[in-house]
Order: sequence, then C-alpha cells, then structure tokens
Amino acid sequence: MKKILVPVKRVIDYAQKIRVDPSKGAEGVQLKNVKMSMNPFCEIAVEEAIQLKEKTKAEVVAISVGPKQCTETIRTALAMGADRGIHVETKPDVRGDYINLQPWAIASLLKGIVEREDGVDLILLGKQSIDSDCGQTGPLLAGLLNAPQATFAAKIEAGDDGSFTVERETDAGTETIKLNSSVKPAVITCDLRLNTPRYPTMPNIMKAKKKKVETISLEDMVKELGLDLDEVLTPKNEVVEVYEPPPRKEGELVGSIDELLGKLKEKGLVA
Amino acid sequence: MDFLSILKSTHPNLEISLNKYDLDSHGHGESYHPTSPPDAIIYPSSVEEIQDILRLCCREVYRDGDDNIPTVEIVSVIPYGAGTSLEGHLNFLLPNDDSVINNDDVVEIPSSLFESSFEESKQLKNKTKRVKIKRKGGISLDMSNFQSIGELTPGDVFIKVGAGVSRKTLNESLRHTGMQFMIDPGADATLGGMTATNASGTAAVKYHTMRENVLHLTAVLPPTKISSATSSNGSGSNPITVNCGSNSLKNSAGYQLPTLFTGSEGTLGVITDVTVKVFPIPSHVIAASCSFDDLHTAAEVVTMIRMMGVPVSRIELLDEMSIRAFNQSNKEELKPMEEKATLFLEFSGHSEASVMADLTAAQTICVNDYEGSNFVSAKDETTRNKIWEARHKLYYSSIALRGGGDDDEDGATSQTTIVTDICVPFSNFADIISATSKDLQDNGVFGTCFGHAGDGNFHCILPLKKNDTDEYREKVFRVIELMTERALSVGGTCTGEHGVGYGKKKYLEKMYGQSGVSLMQTVKRSIDPFNIMNPGKIIDVDCFSEADLPL
Repeated sequence: MKKILVPVKRVIDYAQKIRVDPSKGAEGVQLKNVKMSMNPFCEIAVEEAIQLKEKTKAEVVAISVGPKQCTETIRTALAMGADRGIHVETKPDVRGDYINLQPWAIASLLKGIVEREDGVDLILLGKQSIDSDCGQTGPLLAGLLNAPQATFAAKIEAGDDGSFTVERETDAGTETIKLNSSVKPAVITCDLRLNTPRYPTMPNIMKAKKKKVETISLEDMVKELGLDLDEVLTPKNEVVEVYEPPPRKEGELVGSIDELLGKLKEKGLVA
Repeated sequence: MDFLSILKSTHPNLEISLNKYDLDSHGHGESYHPTSPPDAIIYPSSVEEIQDILRLCCREVYRDGDDNIPTVEIVSVIPYGAGTSLEGHLNFLLPNDDSVINNDDVVEIPSSLFESSFEESKQLKNKTKRVKIKRKGGISLDMSNFQSIGELTPGDVFIKVGAGVSRKTLNESLRHTGMQFMIDPGADATLGGMTATNASGTAAVKYHTMRENVLHLTAVLPPTKISSATSSNGSGSNPITVNCGSNSLKNSAGYQLPTLFTGSEGTLGVITDVTVKVFPIPSHVIAASCSFDDLHTAAEVVTMIRMMGVPVSRIELLDEMSIRAFNQSNKEELKPMEEKATLFLEFSGHSEASVMADLTAAQTICVNDYEGSNFVSAKDETTRNKIWEARHKLYYSSIALRGGGDDDEDGATSQTTIVTDICVPFSNFADIISATSKDLQDNGVFGTCFGHAGDGNFHCILPLKKNDTDEYREKVFRVIELMTERALSVGGTCTGEHGVGYGKKKYLEKMYGQSGVSLMQTVKRSIDPFNIMNPGKIIDVDCFSEADLPL
C-alpha cells in the first residue's frame, strides 16, 4: 500500500457542554471560547491509518477543512504518526457544523484532493462527526469516486493483494465484507470499536512540528480543482431551528404495581 | 426557617436532592461500613455558593417556646467526589461531642463566638450569651459541578483542575499534550478526593503520592463564628477561601498548607480546586513477571532491587492465594499460572537502551541471585497487559474466591469485602507480609495479600459473606489487628494509602502518642471550632468542651 488519506474534522470537544444562544436562531450553538478537538471518530481513523502504516509502510496524509486552527488538528494527527498534512483554510466565520460547510461540499473537495494526490489506496474517515452527526461524507465521497466502500468498520485487515476485509457493526449483528483490490481507492468509515487511539509522547509531538503541512485557502483549492465556490459554500440543507432539549422531568415514585398500572393507563401508555 | 428553606430562598438555582437513592449512595464509599446517609445532597457550582452553604452550618435560631433563648444549630458537612474511598470517609456519624451538645441544657458561651462587626466585637469582649446547642443532621456537598480543567502551558509540568474532575477525565483531556497525571489508585477518583485521602497506588514507586504531586489548592474553610438569625449575607467572618501553595516545584515560603489539607479527609475544609504535577508519557515501557517459591523470598527480591538502585515504574507482589484466585476466576485460559508468589514489574523511560538495562538488572537479581522462575517480559501493549492480568483482575478474583457467582446470592460482593493496607520499612516488609499470609492460613481466613512492594506497602483483600458466622468475622478482624500491630511495632503505619476514616482512629494514639493526637486536635479545633467538617473522622474533638467555655 502506498498512500492513505485521513480527513479529520475540528469539532467542539466531546466533553464540553453545548451552549445555545436562542437569540442567534439557526446559528445558536456557541463556538466562541469553547474547547475544540479532533472529532473522536476521526481520531480512530487516524489511529487505524497509523497501524496500517506500521504494517505496510504506506504514507499517511491528514486533511482538514476549516479555519486556521485546523492546523492544530492536523498537528495532532501528525503527532500520532501521520506523515504530512493538507489544510484547506476557510475564512473564520465559515462554520463546519452543518451551517455552512456540509458533507456534499466536503466530499466534493476531498474527491478533488484524492485525484490531486494521485496513487491513493485508501481513504479512512470517521463514521460521523459529533456536531452534525450526518455520517454522509464517507459514502458521498465513495459515490463521487466510484470507490468500493465499507462503513462502521469495527475491524480492518489489509490483504497483501491490496484488498480490504472489513467487519462492520450493524444493528442486526456483525457483517464481514471484502473490498476487492482491483478498484482504487477504497473508502472505509470507522466506528468506535475499531481501535483505541494512542496518546502521543512528547518526542512525537516535537517531531510533528517539523512535518510538512500544506496550507491552501478554500478559494484557491476550489479554483485549482475546477469547482464552483458558490456551490461549495451554499449548503444543500438549511438549518431551520436550533434549541436545547427540554429539561428532563423528574420521575414519579409509585408505591405498588397497581399504582404503576394506574399511572400507565392514565397517561395512555397502556390500554 | 430551616436550613434548606433559607438556602432555597437565597439560592433558587442551587441543586438539592432529597431522593432516597441519592442519599443512600452518598452515605458510603467502597468500604464495608454500612451506609449512613446524609439528610440532603447539595450540588454547588461556585466557591461563593460553598461559602454561603457553610455559613449556614453554624447558626443561631430562635424557635417558638424557647423563652428567647436561641439554639445554635450545627449541620455536618462531608464533601463528596466519586465515592470510592475505603475507610468509611463518607459515612455520616454523630460525633462523640461533649455532653453540652444535643441536650436541652442552656449553656453560656462567649459572645465573641457570634458573628458581629468589628465595633460590636470590641464591646462584646468578656460578655457571654445563653444558648442551647444542637446538631441538626448533615449534608453531602457533591462536587461534581467543579469540572474545570485549566490549559496546560507548553513547557510547564502542572495543571489546575476543579475538585470534581476525575483522574481519567483529566488524562483524557491531556491525551494530545504528551503529559499525563501519573497517580493511579485504580478507582476513577476525583482530584479533590484524591487530595483529601493522600491517594497513591501502583505508580507511587516512581511518581510518589498526592502529597508530592499537589503544588497548590484552593479550599473553603468552615465558619469560625456563629451566624446570626437575622442577617442574610455574610460579614467578614463569612467562611474564608484560602489559596494554598504555589505553581513552583519547590516552595519554602511559609507553612506547607497544601500538605495540611492532603490527607485531611474532609475534616478541615472543602477543597475546590487542585493544581497537580503532570509527567511526560514514557517513550518506552517494558512489563515483566517472575515467580518465586515463597513469599518471603519474593519480598526480599523487591528490597534488593530497590537497594541496588534499579529504577522501576511499578513493582507489585502477589501471594500464592492471589494467583490461585486468578486461576479460578479465569478458567477459559488454557494455561493457568503457576501458583506461587509472583512479582509483577514495569520499567519505563525515554530510551530503549536504558529501559532494557533496567530490565536486565532486575532479571539478574530475580533469577540469578534469588532463583526466581519463569521470568517473562514484553514491550507491546497487548502482551504487557496479558502478563499483568492477574494483578489487574486481583480485586474481583479475590472476591470471587468466596462465591458471588450466578447461583450464589449470598456470596461475597465488593460491599461486603474488606480491603486494608499497612506500610512498613523495607527491612521488615518480607517478615510482615509472610507472617500475615501465614495468619490467614492458620486462622482459616479467606483472603489475598498483595503489595505495592516497592514502597513497603501491602494490602489484604478479605471477602466476607452475608451468612458468615460471628466467629469467622472475629477471626478476620483479628488478622487485621495482628497485621496492624506488627506494622506499628516496627514504626510503620496502620494505613499507607486508604486513610483513617473512622475504622482506624484507634491506632493514631499508638502511632503518634497522646501529644501527637493532641496536636492534631489543636489544628482541627482552630480551623473548625464547631466540628462541622466530617465530624468523627481521623480524630475526635470535643466541641464546646469545658475547656472552651468561659468560667
């Protein structure tokens, strides 16, 4: 295997409490002064790419689309072991959490970057991002590239012949499929059980600072790839409303089974 | 108005729980002491809220039909982190207060004990006031809203976190910095709780205990004055918040206040944030294990490794029974471990060469000098975990020694299991751990002995069952007594890690003498004169004893 691409998304850190400003309508989710990190599923994708690199000596390229801080997100991937990065830099007010940039735009950009890179064997993505939870970028990218794809990977084995055997987790159980080697690249999205991302050591973090990250503005990349900037920046879906979930109501304690049944009937939950 | 009503009116957004299950769960940690719940749980979100809550814990109340003699009502407070403490720290006790409290006698106390302005207090000198004094239950102060995690400045080796942050949460947030908080007590305890109990664990042999890892902390002190019935806002006597320590690795400025709070088990104040040291993740780690024909020899090996100056990052000793317990609970394994005393070692460092050299030196001691057998080692994480499996699963496989399987409803559980620990000098370690292991056998007591041998610290896990006879229980406690007495007789301690709580109070006088205990009481009385903070733990103090009352 020669080259693995791993797109990584910068999102609100999973441990943060999300705050919604009701006066801002669809853009209510607060992004200012909030801790941002690499999307956890993207982290799993990076880890898998590094493990494959350790077995096959492939080159791992981390890619991110977003404001200038995305370079930090790419550095995290480099510290974990990726070889170089590509940062498509957007203007600071362009939001990646389903407001401006949406899966279709990202997938279109990634398709162009895959072709620009040449010789890509595999694209590993997180199965979804934790802000928009779309889970569409991987499949859209596979469609645009006419690539074989496997989603929700819980185990990936790279064959010597260039094929990938993937165990997928579905609601009905685990399914094993083989992406054959004749069509390249393949697209695989990663699920939680795939691996446990490593914590990089300080020497690796230091090394990462010297690895090459190409920064190119969204406008320039769009031009280079022959895409339409308006197409990319106009979302296909419009966010109509954003609100915090209503606070959970306190449960009721009942004294007996009869009382329980009575309450259930009262609430129309039982005939 | 009563305590909660006042609190709700002045702090309408303050979360308070009176739910029975919440109360029960907040009345115990992970010790065998049965639950003793609080009357309410309060979830503060700020230091100011804690100050207001504590201020109400000691107040003057006028009740109808009291002939204008106010009652001083004292409410106990126990701060709650993750609930993983092991010596009854979280159990609410009615302290052995002087007979002055909780009866209907009217006593005279100095007026200066009451909140007043500076001018007033000058006039109140030598005046007294007639009051009744009563304890009015207790509250659990749940610190789970204190979740702040500071920024780790590149180049610095410390980080400031809220007291409610758990150590695993802290380390997850640090996962891309190359640094980690290294103290590992096993449980996912909170930093506040770990400070209050001076926690340590398997990593102590390299990274020491909380005492050496806490650089700074902020604490709210209990009130030193009785708040009056009428005023609703604090005056200068409002419980104060103290800033203890500094971000420098070495600090000789003044009394070492962070150390005062470390291990104070919630008896001196409410810790709201802690600044702890962090260390670089080692680049190279090797794990190893080795078996020995007898426990005494294995313990001697540990001492030798330490004396020879071979650096280890972890070194744990498990007795024969521990291995047997592991084999029994691990039946799917094709090849059971040899049932012998076993050492589990770990070496870590920045260069592969240095770690290999440490391993080789330890291996020579184990195998060549002390005839250890079956020395295995590994570098990759999966194999390392496999080597250490018996140690990692020790707690649960020890409990499983006495049932708890699907068919055994009366089997031992973690709620019925006693875990106790002592710590002694190296020269006595081998003798004492062997003697204790022998005591278990001689008395027919089921249990495992294992130790953070590199610190001279070992534990016994003693599972009890619901239907155990009184005779059996007595034997178990007798074994614990014997082991503790041995430790004290060589100048060791009745607890290396778990703390005193209330189960081990009786040993303090043996360890420190009357004068040592008396000094601790002096400290407690001057910081918490009304004995509001976790009363009945560590030491007993008389509140309003005859010594305190004016003549």
